Amino acid sequence: MSHPLRIGVLRLADSAPIVVARNAGLFERHGLSVDIAVSPSWANIADGLVWNGLDSALIFPPLAMMTALGRRGRKTGLRPVQAVSFGGNMIVLRGPARPGHDWTAGRAGHRSFRNWKADIGRTPRLAVVHAYSTHLLILTRFLSSIGISVQDDVQLKIMPPDRIIDALSAGSIDGFCAGPPWGEDAARQGLGFVVAGSAAICPGHVEKVLVLNDQAHIEAADLSRTLLAALHDAIALCVDPANADDIARQLAAPLAKGGLALPFAATRAIMPDASLPDAMVFKSRSWDHEALGWMVSDMQGLGWISPEDVVSLERLGWLTQEMAR
Amino acid sequence: MAGPSRANTPGPVPAIRVLLADENPSRAGALSDTLRADSSLVVIAADPGMPLMDAVRHHTPDIVLVDMSRADRDALDSVRALSGAGLEHPVALFVDEDDQQLMEAAFEAGICSYNVVDTPPRDVKPLLRAAIALYARFQQTQNELQAARKTISDRQTIDQAKRLFMQNEGCGEGEAYRWFRKRAMETARRIPDIAAEYLSRHRKDDTR
Repeated sequence: MSHPLRIGVLRLADSAPIVVARNAGLFERHGLSVDIAVSPSWANIADGLVWNGLDSALIFPPLAMMTALGRRGRKTGLRPVQAVSFGGNMIVLRGPARPGHDWTAGRAGHRSFRNWKADIGRTPRLAVVHAYSTHLLILTRFLSSIGISVQDDVQLKIMPPDRIIDALSAGSIDGFCAGPPWGEDAARQGLGFVVAGSAAICPGHVEKVLVLNDQAHIEAADLSRTLLAALHDAIALCVDPANADDIARQLAAPLAKGGLALPFAATRAIMPDASLPDAMVFKSRSWDHEALGWMVSDMQGLGWISPEDVVSLERLGWLTQEMAR
Repeated sequence: MAGPSRANTPGPVPAIRVLLADENPSRAGALSDTLRADSSLVVIAADPGMPLMDAVRHHTPDIVLVDMSRADRDALDSVRALSGAGLEHPVALFVDEDDQQLMEAAFEAGICSYNVVDTPPRDVKPLLRAAIALYARFQQTQNELQAARKTISDRQTIDQAKRLFMQNEGCGEGEAYRWFRKRAMETARRIPDIAAEYLSRHRKDDTR
């Protein structure tokens, strides 16, 4: 390629493999020249992939698929290279948890929600990180498991994950579903309590995937292979408990020093070596189409995509033929 | 509210209401000066600190020009996908699929445009072009400033590292510089990076 490969990420702890690969010189070792673009919001990542601002990104599958389908202006041959992280999202609600409240599915959870809503004193405003996010799907599933409709019973707000803590503490939202470390950070700051997370709602779900756009594919035939190799090495570093302190410190470093300016304590607490159910999971393994099954069916259920779109996604390499049928 | 309302505008063609959402005051000022030269436009600057969605609800623009680095742009983005956004008319990201160059230039400059979906289609492109030109000019100045700052800080780093090296190794300046240059060449990295690494490692040693 004529320019360094531009990879977009957000200020999230599960961007770790990309940050670590850069800081440890793993991209260079595999002959890649990479620029990391720490982007202000998911819309910027999606638009960057469509309009030649980015060649690649670490992104959640629903937005990547919607972008590939041309819902941000024009179809792009956006393809998954590899799943990088699994789970790690948390649903947090404002305030101290009422002692003895039960948030399990069914009647108990429903009652807890009603009581909490009465404490809040308004239609709860819940934030997710993008309209086409895994977080919205997870939140929808959780609310529906306790008999609450995401359409009628709450007001959804959209904001980038790194703005959520401020919004919760300013009172402009009453809860959220977001990626690491923001749920843990909210709980640590006493702004809210965790009611559920990826592990409880969709155990082991694919969270971030590395995508590459068509242009990048065409310009460098073995790009996928070298990128995969660098990521594989980075993930090995990320999952080694001996590195957890150091990697949390790298992520907490300021942007100008190669970090993501994340809160250190919360980030350290959800590193892969932690025993929390929603600790981050990084895995280096080949692309598993089936893992997207629930997302695709929820996306259809919400009317985001049609059966024809599912066929297009199969053609672009996101799904298998069986899934598109 | 700034500017006349649509009903008071004389003539058969109602003015286009353009909301500028840019928290950089000098850039917002320059862009609104440029656009105000066109009498068919009512240019409204969004109040700093007001969430974008509230500004759109309050000013009811036809077109919203948005600084892409604004984090609350995603909220505007999702109006169509979500219910309960509280907007009378949905807005959508302006996209011209046939004019790829314009679109790429806009995103590169860091500006995008949203249109109110229910209003008759109007030509956004001249507005967007004016905004791109201005944003690109601001970006260039910014990059030049940053490059200048980096050069100064690189030079300071190298000077400090050289001094420390001369002290540690009891050698002269020429030898110190040659050592850093050799290390940079061996590891295919920049001299300022090698110097920064040397400084951080040896400062750490000092504190032991």
